Amino acid sequence: MASRDVVSYDTPLSRALSIFGTVFVAFYLVWTLLPFVVMFVSSFKDMLEAFKLPVVGDWAGMTVFFDFSPTLKHYTTLFTENSFGTYIMNSLIAAGGSAVISVIFGSLAAYSLSRVDFRGKQDLFFWIISTRMAPVVAVMVPLYAIFRSLDLVGTLPGLILAYTTFNLPFAIWMLKGFFDNVPYAIEEAQMVDGATRFEAFRSILPLVAPGIGAFVVLCVLFAWNDFLFAAIIGSGGAKTLPVATRELVQPQNIQWGSIMAAGVVTTAPMMLLGLVIRKYLVAGLTMGAVKE
Amino acid sequence: MTDVSSLSGTSREVASKLFRARAHSVEVEARPRAEITHKPRKFNPPMPKHYYYYLMAPAIAILAFISLYPFFWLIIMSLQDVDIGGGEWIGLKNYTKLFTDARFIDGWILLAQYSVMCLGLQVGLGVTLAVVVNSSKYEKYLVTALLMPMMMAPAVAGLLWLFLYNGTFGWYHWVLQSAGILDSASILASADTAMYAIVLVDVWQWTPLITIIALAGLKRVPRDQLEANMVDGASPLRNFFAIILPNLYPVLLIAVLLRFMDNFRFIDSILVLTGGGPGSATKILPVYLFEVAFKFFKLGRGAAIALTLLIVTILLGKLLVRVFEKPQGGKG
Repeated sequence: MASRDVVSYDTPLSRALSIFGTVFVAFYLVWTLLPFVVMFVSSFKDMLEAFKLPVVGDWAGMTVFFDFSPTLKHYTTLFTENSFGTYIMNSLIAAGGSAVISVIFGSLAAYSLSRVDFRGKQDLFFWIISTRMAPVVAVMVPLYAIFRSLDLVGTLPGLILAYTTFNLPFAIWMLKGFFDNVPYAIEEAQMVDGATRFEAFRSILPLVAPGIGAFVVLCVLFAWNDFLFAAIIGSGGAKTLPVATRELVQPQNIQWGSIMAAGVVTTAPMMLLGLVIRKYLVAGLTMGAVKE
Repeated sequence: MTDVSSLSGTSREVASKLFRARAHSVEVEARPRAEITHKPRKFNPPMPKHYYYYLMAPAIAILAFISLYPFFWLIIMSLQDVDIGGGEWIGLKNYTKLFTDARFIDGWILLAQYSVMCLGLQVGLGVTLAVVVNSSKYEKYLVTALLMPMMMAPAVAGLLWLFLYNGTFGWYHWVLQSAGILDSASILASADTAMYAIVLVDVWQWTPLITIIALAGLKRVPRDQLEANMVDGASPLRNFFAIILPNLYPVLLIAVLLRFMDNFRFIDSILVLTGGGPGSATKILPVYLFEVAFKFFKLGRGAAIALTLLIVTILLGKLLVRVFEKPQGGKG
């Protein structure tokens, strides 16, 4: 029931408000989307063309933005002079690994947390969720010390484990809400028919499979976009895309073209994935506070 | 069953269709029941709880290793003078030193300023946006467009804005300069304006989160209240402040708490944009902690700072979970 269905009267004020609303949204969209346009277009510009700006105050001169001959050289240098192929693989392995681990163990835990009651369950649940909400830097201080003593710093397994610190609690929290919506009666009916507990669990899997798949994607998204863990725990052997992009900023020579190209390479796959799981995206980003 | 719309034509045809439909349903009922393939046990005991504990155990074990164990390490480390080499017990010295550490205290103040500015702008813009989007025909497309910044890695967003803010070739710098807001110095270069720069990036990336949460809240504003108010002759503005906004408070509280904790959690874009500078104008506490722990590798001191940060987060988290669990708290 959308509140927009409410009748409204046409008054000067309401007309002014609706014009204001349209203008506001138009401005907001420009402000939101312009950085993407700049990033995308600049990644195809030669160095000098990217730096071209009109004279201050010359608003009509803004067309110089589109005055360039497109080049792919920034994308090719990413893969020839820098080894972005390796970094993409690192990002994929680290993000994918932690996502799969988190969702497999997370769904088992979420399922049982959803089905059983015991003393201290609330406290356990709070501990799980506070792990997810803890500041990354604060978590990293002891984790770095521990990983260093285990020789996990600078390795992909170390990074996978580090990402699991926020992905596993996230998976448990989201999937518990998810399993809560699957009626226990379905499993009960199966068990009355003689199914074992595990067979009953298996019988509801087709119902939850799309959601579980979406949460794998969400976990990949969070891990892929991480910078702090990758910069410290992954430093050296397990460089991921955001860290590699950041390293293109050198004190003497900031390779803006390559940075924009690397930005596109890092962002585009996540946008596509985001569109694929659009239905679950809002729930995932708001920790389940909003379901579309 | 037969589709009603297909029941047309002469009465004879209808009758024959109905008959076939009936025959069909009889056939369904006559179908043999699904066979039970597994051997029924003699009795089906109520599910023992330990079964669930086995399912939970792996996740709990992993979490214990990567969160509980490090937490105790953190406490132990905070009582030591840990450097690259090893530790040495110094008792509570790390904590007592914090009280005289001006940058630690400034870090908290800056964190509070940063959060208040971010949240103020985000809630103001986000709610306005939600109200407008909610009454738009293109709601679905608008929301998709709004979701885009949140898909971008915060570090990449930081780099992108570093480009846009650049004093010689940044487009946003040019716009601000042309509009007469800035002189030729970059917004990032001055200690007075750098804070606004990082706030704007956070606003750019995360205002849409407030918008989608507020949008969900708007869908639940009781329609009868709105209509009653309209019939009483209230203006749209009055409607907004008297009915819509009070109905939004619970969801907005969730949104604000989520964003507030994220301001503690993510410093990626700040590290990329300013690294805490110029001077220490944007050195909010997590950035300061990052510097102490991972630039100077004073892990013991870092641990003490981290613990204070954790305690505040845990308190906020307690509040958030309580809000979440309230029935009107936005769980739909």
